Amino acid sequence: MTTDPKFNPIRKGLLEFLILQIISADKVYVADMMKRLQETDFATQEGTLYPLLSKMRREEYVDYEWQESESGPPRKYYKLTAKGKTQLAEFKDYWAYLNTTINQLGR
Amino acid sequence: MNTVIIINLNGNAFHLEEPGFKSLQAYLERAQAALKDNPDKVEIMADLEQAIADKCARFLLPHKNVLTAAEIDEVLKEMGPVQSENTADAGAAGTGGGSGPNPESKPGVAGAGAPKRLYQIREGAMLSGVCTGLAAYLNVDVTIVRIAFVLLTLLTSGIWILVYLGMMLVVPFANTGEEHAAAAGAPFNAQEVIDRAKKHYGEFKDSKEWRRHWRQQRREWRRQWREGAYWWGHNLQRNVHAVSSSAGYGGHLGATLLIPFLAVFNAVLFCALIAAIVSLATTGAIFGWVVAGSIPLWVSILILMFFYSMISRPLRHARRAIYFNTGGNNFYWFAAWYEILSTGVLILVCWLAYTHLPEVRDFFQHFTQNVTLMWNNIVDSFHHTVSHKPASGIDARLPAAAAAASASAFLALRT
Repeated sequence: MTTDPKFNPIRKGLLEFLILQIISADKVYVADMMKRLQETDFATQEGTLYPLLSKMRREEYVDYEWQESESGPPRKYYKLTAKGKTQLAEFKDYWAYLNTTINQLGR
Repeated sequence: MNTVIIINLNGNAFHLEEPGFKSLQAYLERAQAALKDNPDKVEIMADLEQAIADKCARFLLPHKNVLTAAEIDEVLKEMGPVQSENTADAGAAGTGGGSGPNPESKPGVAGAGAPKRLYQIREGAMLSGVCTGLAAYLNVDVTIVRIAFVLLTLLTSGIWILVYLGMMLVVPFANTGEEHAAAAGAPFNAQEVIDRAKKHYGEFKDSKEWRRHWRQQRREWRRQWREGAYWWGHNLQRNVHAVSSSAGYGGHLGATLLIPFLAVFNAVLFCALIAAIVSLATTGAIFGWVVAGSIPLWVSILILMFFYSMISRPLRHARRAIYFNTGGNNFYWFAAWYEILSTGVLILVCWLAYTHLPEVRDFFQHFTQNVTLMWNNIVDSFHHTVSHKPASGIDARLPAAAAAASASAFLALRT
């Protein structure tokens, strides 16, 4: 939508929460996540995503399990933990609050 | 036709063309460096290798089982640069979403030009890589740096070599791709690494050409060195002649009077140098004059010492000329007189400074703390240059370097 580099930090900061949102729907593996993000403004690369996911797992927002795939090696399927679900709910509330604040300040 | 290398990516075998292999190696090296402090480094590296393997698989067909360099480049471009934890959550903290604490993150630093650090670069080095590293740091041609080093060596009658030795001991080598990038201050990303790897490969391939070039340069160096030595010796001789031609009783008397003047001047100059170094190392400014922020402390000290030797060199020559001029046994008397005089003046200046300048008295009253402070500041300025090297490595080399530096300082001052 926009390529203004000024918005880069915002996109970067939101990425973690968008991943929580993607995972919240169903268990996903990384290639799926990439595909989903590819269509949006938040297109990202493995080089960014893997370290981020490992950090989120360490902070116990997400977890993964190995699943056999029809083609190729087993894959890591990510899912939300209870902490991750709380975090996502908090984020959505906060996002709504930010929206209201921005709109109200404009008046 | 191209050499093919077989690699193992997280348990999958792949055939790669050699340049492609170099690119991949550089990429993974860079990933390792970025994840250096990450507790999940092994796991992330395995994930990355698996992702690369998945991407590579799509280029393979039943009758095509080798990956070309171009295909590897495309895969690595898709992968994107591996980001360390700190850059990864710098933005997250900015949104304030309640993510974990990240005291070290620097928002907005990701896109900025990479910090420059001084390294020794072995590639294309003649001795250790000090000059190549400095050339990359200062962004000038390495030949200019080498000429400067040779000139400085000649001007300081060889003392500058000790500075070189000191740098050889202290300045770390650029080993990883990331360190190479930091040496030149180049922005570091996957494409950059690929380009550099390719260039390196190209140079390696033409190593015959490379060797020839190197030999030629070495010959050139020897020539310059000889010429320089000749010039220096010739100049000194001329100096001596100039003084001795005006000899006779008057010249003798003039020389006798000149020596105290030289002694006083040299002693005062020496005190000024020491005071300037102390002032610089304790307050970061020379008598209140602030040095440009980007120059590390140890470089400023070297520059100061250089200026000192530039000023004292003609004086030294004049003194030598006087010694030679007087000739015979007088030589020793003059030398002894000069030494006694300059030491006396040195003590006098120190005493005057101690009694009249509160700053100097203050410095000597808290001598140990101040020396510790200076030492820490100087060591810190090295650490800053090599900030992501483990501290233990530099600590082991510092005493040796300090010894070399102080020896060079001492010799430069007393010859």
